[in-house]
Amino acid sequence: MRHPRERGILSGPLSRRDFIKRSAGTAFALSGAAAILEACGKGTPITPTSTGFPLARPNQPVKWPIFGDNVPIADGLPPEQNATLKVYNWSDYIYKKVLKDFQRKYRQYGVKTELSTFNNTDEALAKIRSGQVDFDIFFPTVDLLGKLIEFKFIRPLNHTYIPNIQNVWSELQDPFYDQGWQYTVPYVVYTTGIAWRTDHVKDDISAMPNPYDIFWNTTYKGKVEVLDDYRETMSMVLLRNQIYDVNTGNPKHLALVKDQLLQLAQATNPIVNVQDYVDLPEAKTWINEAWSGDMVNAQYYGPKGFDPGVIRYWAQPVHAPVNNDLIVILKAGKNPVMSHLFLNYMLDFNNSMENFSWVGYQPPQTAVTADLLVKQQLIPPNLKTAVVDESIWKTGARELELSPSVDSAWHDVWTQFKAGG
Amino acid sequence: MTCGPSSRPVAEPAASPRERRPRRGEGVWYPRWFWPLFATPGIIWLAVLFVVPFYVVLSIAFGTFDQIFRNPVPIWNPAQWYTGTFGKVIGQIFGRGAFLSAPFVRTFVYVAAASALCILISYPVSYYVARYAGRRKGILLVLLIAPFWISYMMRMLAWVNLLQGDGLVNRSLTSLHLVARPVDWLGGNALTVILGLVYGYIPYMILPLFAGLDRIDPNLLEASRDLGASRVRTFLRVTLPMSKQAILAGMVIVSLPMFGDYFTNDLLSGAPRTSMIGNLIDDAVTTPGQGTNGAVLVLILMIILILPMFYYVYSTAKATKERAA
Repeated sequence: MRHPRERGILSGPLSRRDFIKRSAGTAFALSGAAAILEACGKGTPITPTSTGFPLARPNQPVKWPIFGDNVPIADGLPPEQNATLKVYNWSDYIYKKVLKDFQRKYRQYGVKTELSTFNNTDEALAKIRSGQVDFDIFFPTVDLLGKLIEFKFIRPLNHTYIPNIQNVWSELQDPFYDQGWQYTVPYVVYTTGIAWRTDHVKDDISAMPNPYDIFWNTTYKGKVEVLDDYRETMSMVLLRNQIYDVNTGNPKHLALVKDQLLQLAQATNPIVNVQDYVDLPEAKTWINEAWSGDMVNAQYYGPKGFDPGVIRYWAQPVHAPVNNDLIVILKAGKNPVMSHLFLNYMLDFNNSMENFSWVGYQPPQTAVTADLLVKQQLIPPNLKTAVVDESIWKTGARELELSPSVDSAWHDVWTQFKAGG
Repeated sequence: MTCGPSSRPVAEPAASPRERRPRRGEGVWYPRWFWPLFATPGIIWLAVLFVVPFYVVLSIAFGTFDQIFRNPVPIWNPAQWYTGTFGKVIGQIFGRGAFLSAPFVRTFVYVAAASALCILISYPVSYYVARYAGRRKGILLVLLIAPFWISYMMRMLAWVNLLQGDGLVNRSLTSLHLVARPVDWLGGNALTVILGLVYGYIPYMILPLFAGLDRIDPNLLEASRDLGASRVRTFLRVTLPMSKQAILAGMVIVSLPMFGDYFTNDLLSGAPRTSMIGNLIDDAVTTPGQGTNGAVLVLILMIILILPMFYYVYSTAKATKERAA
């Protein structure tokens, strides 16, 4: 089977989460440029003290305000004629065929789609803040929501244009991070777990009393990989110790994480990157901390003769790290009605499945089940565990925005780990 | 100089060189600003691409960060610079419980080893091309710089394939019974990173060495042999001392970028236990809220590297003076 995705190791590093590995010089140039722009008074004024935004939590849901100067569009407006719908997304995170199909569906309005991509949210926000781009559609993460809403970068939605919201999980029709889905619709969902190769790893990791211990097993030294994502890997250590608050600021918890990460570096000398979907099928590594969507993709990245049947994926049934990405309409966009139609289009079952077939990340559609995906040959039977079940979702642990001070404490631990102890 | 090269000094002892002017008909007269004008592009280049960016880095290192968007907020006025981040990072490198000292030491060890290997490999190559290649000198030089035609990333990615468990290197080693089982080259192996650095930067060492060795007057070597020195003694007493500046130049050219390298380690290892300073800087500047730390690390690395740079400048100046004498 050949994956329709054309991304490769050279087509811009690899996964949407592959935020990293840009030239330090370039990064500094960009930082410097951003700084100069700020000094020149462009962009949004900053408040250097505190975010001041509520931190949404499942037990502290947030209903964002609708501002007087940023209200939803009226009902029943005709779509813009000859619009160019500008879509701003992560690299390799939407199937271009889906965009073309959208154009075809609304061809009577002469709509065209134009895809621009970003490599990390910093880059995306910098562009949006500059006020010099007029993208219509944006795919943010949940932690950006406060900034996007409070600075009025995104439009509130008119629900009458988006009836397909009924296709998604009930919880995401009224999510804690955006009560009443006033500004967002969900895009894809995923878990974070452990992936391994049964041809090299004889342990049944899913049956171990504490599966996370496998990362510390010296038998696999040099063949272990963890995600280069401070939230994911530090949360993995918390979960290993049955600490389910993966947004903790407790110094004792963070000290424990630090100690165990340093032990991990000693025990198995793990590789730290976000190439789980390449390294595992290529057998560069045998045991990976992995995203479920990447494991769905992994089947297409093996060398010639690779048997995807050797890959296994495990996410803990309760308190698994879960997350979702969003689709929003940018206020600077010139086609708000067409944008609403696009959101509705992306929530359509068939369209979202077509997108899934290329992206590998699962839409939170109620009709999606592991059996269906196996039947449609979108995933092999051994990777049914990579399908996010609504029950896993409901009991999952959400890695959410941290306060600046807690975030800084997390980074201190992560830097210590990345420095090699 | 205020005059052009064609204007000969006029024998007027009372006048200082600055006051000398060519007399009418004595040659072409150039205005005072003419020759300095030639330095303008270089000065603009330096100002735009070094001085200004350096000041930006400095202002970020001593700045704060925007707590909403987590971007660095530079402080342009030195009188208002915030030194807290600098002090914190210094503490993480030199203080009690310092954890950033390990990657600093590691980087110095890796760079020293890789630079030494670069010299050991490139000196004989350059020596051969400079002295014995004859008419093939041109083609050999082209071949030596051929790796530059391929991007650094591509070359490293090629090594990733070659060094994999079932890659060509391991298959060769096992088929020759040099190793019992495939070597885990890519599993966080320091040797792989060092060899990667050597491979990536060695052309930069070969070229200045070749230039230096090629410039040595063969008559001096002949004179040494005529005076009874053996080949080895001639090499040790004539060739090697005369190529010292080229060695130093090559060392500076290869070691400076190696200190900031992060890509080699990322591709060939990726393990924290082989992290170099460049990796920490890369991590910091690409992580929201950490840009200030990254700028501080850049400054500290720069301060450390200034010392060998000064030695190089001093040594070059001394050698020039000796040659003139």
